[in-house]
Amino acid sequence: MKNEENLAYFLNEAKTIKTGSLEKKLRVAFLASFTINGFEETMRVKCKKKKIECMTYVGDYNQYNQEILENDSKFYRFKPELTFLILDVRHILGELFFYPYSLSVSEREDFVKNKIREITNLIRMIIKNSGSRVILTELQIPTYSPYGISDQNEKVGVKEIVREINIGIKHEVKDELLISILDFNQFIQRYGEQNIFNYNQFFSGDIKISIEYIPKFVDEMMRYVTAITGTTKKCIVLDLDNTLWGGVVGEDGFENIKLGDDPIGRSFVEFQKRLLALNQRGIILAINSKNNFDDAIKVVKEHPNMILREENFGCIKINWNDKVTNLYEISRELNIGLDSFVFFDDDPINREFIKKQLEQVLVIDLPSDSAKFAHVLTEMNVFESLKITDEDVKRKDMYLGQRKRVEFEHKIGDINEFLKQMNIQVTIKEADNFLVPRISQLTLKTNQFNLTTKRYQQEQISSFSDDKNYVVECIEVSDKFGNNGITGAYIIKKKETEWIIDTFLLSCRIIGRGVEDAMLSQLIERAKRENIKKIKGEFIPTAKNKPAENFYKEFGFKEEENFWVFDTEQTIKKVEHIKMVKNE
Amino acid sequence: MSKKLYDIVSKVFNVNLDRINDDSSPENLEEWDSFNFYVLLDEIENEFDVKFDLDETLEIKKIGDIKKLFVKYGIRCE
Repeated sequence: MKNEENLAYFLNEAKTIKTGSLEKKLRVAFLASFTINGFEETMRVKCKKKKIECMTYVGDYNQYNQEILENDSKFYRFKPELTFLILDVRHILGELFFYPYSLSVSEREDFVKNKIREITNLIRMIIKNSGSRVILTELQIPTYSPYGISDQNEKVGVKEIVREINIGIKHEVKDELLISILDFNQFIQRYGEQNIFNYNQFFSGDIKISIEYIPKFVDEMMRYVTAITGTTKKCIVLDLDNTLWGGVVGEDGFENIKLGDDPIGRSFVEFQKRLLALNQRGIILAINSKNNFDDAIKVVKEHPNMILREENFGCIKINWNDKVTNLYEISRELNIGLDSFVFFDDDPINREFIKKQLEQVLVIDLPSDSAKFAHVLTEMNVFESLKITDEDVKRKDMYLGQRKRVEFEHKIGDINEFLKQMNIQVTIKEADNFLVPRISQLTLKTNQFNLTTKRYQQEQISSFSDDKNYVVECIEVSDKFGNNGITGAYIIKKKETEWIIDTFLLSCRIIGRGVEDAMLSQLIERAKRENIKKIKGEFIPTAKNKPAENFYKEFGFKEEENFWVFDTEQTIKKVEHIKMVKNE
Repeated sequence: MSKKLYDIVSKVFNVNLDRINDDSSPENLEEWDSFNFYVLLDEIENEFDVKFDLDETLEIKKIGDIKKLFVKYGIRCE
């Protein structure tokens, strides 16, 4: 294992972290039934690398029950946003771990039911007392039974006891927004029980995840941090020659590149299939290749074994420009920040170039062996979302539409004429159970056109929308090239004579078409109908929201102390080229 | 002759190399605690490709004791 990956490195590195310098912050608590030294240090270091300041609380050794049950415990006073509850199978099963058949079948069934109830009650208690999101580590399924091969024939055998507890809990909590289950058995399958569990460490210090594998386990935990903090990656930028196929098309020719029918060719097909699956769940793909356009695009369009086709790419740059220039262009055309990009290129020189020039981009150190490409991709864990929404799945089509829009804009030339011909329709939708996850996702991910950049988890959005004093709505934008999906949202606090804009945001791919003005106009007109005198909004500057800086001013808001204020008697901007529809 | 071992101890306990000798123990090295001792063992086992028995690890009271184990396992640690 490399030095930067072992626990000694993380323990020492954690001592050097200074607090207070990073914008993103997260409070994480660890409650466990065994020794988890090293977990919090490793997580703080890994968070720092993602530019997140992680503050941690580690519960006392095996005191999780008391800490959860006492509503004034140190754990609750810490005010966690994210809590990892790590219970291990030996602890939960107790003596039953060794002597599962000391109980009768019906006693074992009762045991399973009781444990499901106990554990789900604990999780619900945490949420009730703290509002923290809870990640429960599922129990490890034992690989040994005193009954040997006949354990499989037993009714409620030892493995089944554990499996049933895991499934039972998962079933109980599946509709709860704040609970996720960490798939511990998948972790063990990947690295092997004999590596993860070290008897010497266990007997010496009740260490149940071996020291060597603690950093790997924290990687699993980090997937939740990625999803919650919205630091997930959105786009994979790919080279072509020796990255998506073997060989160089310009030299070897269309017929001789390796793709499909030989061992090397199969490795590229496998890689492409993994990429296509990510594309289907909403990760954008783009090409950044130094090549003769006609040679390279012919492979993409016509090669019989090509898996990824033109329509799978949201942006295609095949030219002789340098890769940094191309990446900037891709970022601009897709309207995605550079820190949301992953860069795949077989050429180490290109990689170094990007690393040096664009340090926000995640550059993958591809091994020279193409057989490992698919594996590198599936081990990355940077495309994380707690729930895949319909918008995610539809996103690839939206970016395809976006590509066509850009082409149409170039063709028309005049911006006003272009907007007129686009037939833009904006549909206002009130938040409901289906829309809450998407609205939350928008608040977490939208950086540029975001007036206040307040980040809200699903349950916070839910509670706003249940509150009569709030308006929580989102907008769906469509035009002649298709539906852009739910791409804007706002949260309004209603007071007697004024409305306060808590949140107002628009996804970057919609900016510049007048949608933001149309959204605000209908809101103000509505306020006026309800006899509201004033609309108040705030602009909270961040490193990224400059595009929204002058929005209120240009709309006609007047500055008053820290707020921008619009008097509903003023003339309200009309956006002629957009048709507004209210979905009741 | 103990450079490689001392290097590992220095790295894991995050202390200067010149503070480490065969008599280093939890008594004179406050950075040595019960948990990072396991981290040290794990590093040593990986680095020298050896696995100590539980009772052997319990016998380690100072760095010199690790060298005794090296002799037992025929490990040279120049």
